[in-house]
Amino acid sequence: MAGQKILIVDDDLDFCEATKLILESKAYKVNLAHDGKEGLEKIRSEEPDLVILDVMMPEMNGYDVCVIMKADPGLSSIPVILLTAVNQEMFKTSFTKEMGLMTEADDYIAKPVEPEDLVEAIEALLKGEE
Amino acid sequence: MLTKPNMLVVDNDVAILNKCNSLLLSRGFQVSTAESSKEALQILEKYHRDVDIMLLSLELPGLGAMSVIEVLKKTKSKILVMAISTDCGEEAIAAIHAGAYDCIRKTFTTERFWTKIDRAVERFTLARQLEILKKQRLSILKKDSYDEDTMRTIMNTIPEGLIVTDHHERIVFYNSKVADLFGLQGDAALGLPIEKTLKNADLVSFITESMNLSRSGHSSVHQKVGSIEIEGLTMRVLINSIESDDGKTIGSVSMLQDVSQKKTMDQLKGDLVSMVSHELKAPLSALLMQLSVVLDGLAGDITTKQKDLLGKAKQRTKRMIALVNDLLDLRRIEEGKAVVEIEPLDLGEILHRSIDIMTLSSKDKNINFDVKIVENLPLFSGDRTGMEAVFVNLISNAIKYTSTGGRVQVELKKSGKDIRIKVVDNGIGIEKEDLDHVFDRFYRIKTEQTKSIGGSGLGLYIVKRIVDAHRGTIYVESKAGKGTMFIVSLPLEK
Repeated sequence: MAGQKILIVDDDLDFCEATKLILESKAYKVNLAHDGKEGLEKIRSEEPDLVILDVMMPEMNGYDVCVIMKADPGLSSIPVILLTAVNQEMFKTSFTKEMGLMTEADDYIAKPVEPEDLVEAIEALLKGEE
Repeated sequence: MLTKPNMLVVDNDVAILNKCNSLLLSRGFQVSTAESSKEALQILEKYHRDVDIMLLSLELPGLGAMSVIEVLKKTKSKILVMAISTDCGEEAIAAIHAGAYDCIRKTFTTERFWTKIDRAVERFTLARQLEILKKQRLSILKKDSYDEDTMRTIMNTIPEGLIVTDHHERIVFYNSKVADLFGLQGDAALGLPIEKTLKNADLVSFITESMNLSRSGHSSVHQKVGSIEIEGLTMRVLINSIESDDGKTIGSVSMLQDVSQKKTMDQLKGDLVSMVSHELKAPLSALLMQLSVVLDGLAGDITTKQKDLLGKAKQRTKRMIALVNDLLDLRRIEEGKAVVEIEPLDLGEILHRSIDIMTLSSKDKNINFDVKIVENLPLFSGDRTGMEAVFVNLISNAIKYTSTGGRVQVELKKSGKDIRIKVVDNGIGIEKEDLDHVFDRFYRIKTEQTKSIGGSGLGLYIVKRIVDAHRGTIYVESKAGKGTMFIVSLPLEK
């Protein structure tokens, strides 16, 4: 479904800008936040259809934002993709096991990420929403 | 064989001098002569070692014979003195008192001369033999005490701690490093059981285990390595059992090596690698996105040439990302985390997933994949992430070093008590001299063909470390220009 709202929460402005352009080319509406606190505020005020959360951020990190979201009945249904600097595909599974159980994030993507992989992950989650 | 003693004849009476000289020469002695005590002393000073027996006239003018005898006595000379005198009277007795051996009359017959000289030579030779025997004995004694002192000093000088026990695990020896570490005073701890003296439960159990292992005869090399913490220091422990000729365990030797500093340095190095790698990841992430944006035309139209150049830039960026990831993997593995968590694994499922990831990245190369995974394989107890790394590395290598349109075969099956993974490609292969080094850290094969292929030289090193940690083996066979085959065997029973 085109026109869905995605919020990217990441402190790397260059990454945000480029990712925004890519997602907009796929007809998503993209908003940005640059730290965990601002991210949580925008999640509450803008009610995005999906949130991309960087893990390493100032103010409040991505795990914490995710845990708060998932504990809030009003926000818990919004799908979350965590972007982690945790290494490569090979560590994804152990990471998933540990952090997934704790944060209940919907997907995990290791940074750096190929744009098509990110788009694929987003589409898979939003399809589930429909 | 002892050589003949050398002679010095000292007499101012030239007739006697010549007579002695010619008699001695006739029996093959080396002879020097002097006509005064002064001359004699000069010879002794210069050629002291070349004179063994001296025939010395007691009727020399000037300083006289006694002065020569005094000098010999003072210098503790071994030279034997045979006095020559007219009547062998008072002055001869005085000379003998002063150290001369005997006296011979000036009026000697040849027979009388030889009787006296033969006895003198015999006496001298005996004295010399005795001297040699004494020296030998002394040197043996010296060597023994030298060895013991030297060994003790060596033991105390080495920076490592040393503990020797008997078969009852009682202390037989320890060096000063160990005394310092455990606060042992002097030899007080000798003969006491280790658990009473070595206040470190880990070390005591290491020694006990090592002795038990040796007694049970299970391993041919009874050596155990471990690491313990004492007083805030990290000590690497190496234990060897001592065996008697008939193979009985009669004791143990433990070496304690302080690796605290090395550990700190390793930690620092690792932290640096980790930090740099993570710091590189953020800009690389942004760079990858930015390049994609421009390449996809999302920032305006680009020319074919621009697209070509930026495409290459994107490839280089991705290679750099792979390098950073390898460095982080290496860090993890060198921290001893090759095996993080053991769980029963369906290797078939993991291999399927790894191949899915890999085939995506190889779609441009149009590689022909031939995958054979035997169904219902027994579960393998291993580390999931480690196994994924093994598969991903082996398969991505096969793809990397195989040209477009090539073939990669992957096979997973049970073989005896092992699970066996075989990855075969018909790529560029590996030259014989490189084959021994493919598992070395940072080893990269440099040829015209590999120049354009990115890599850190860490992939196979990581694979080997993980396979080793699972007590498995990895085997490689290759022919340059034909292709390469890797076989990993993982034991189902540990």
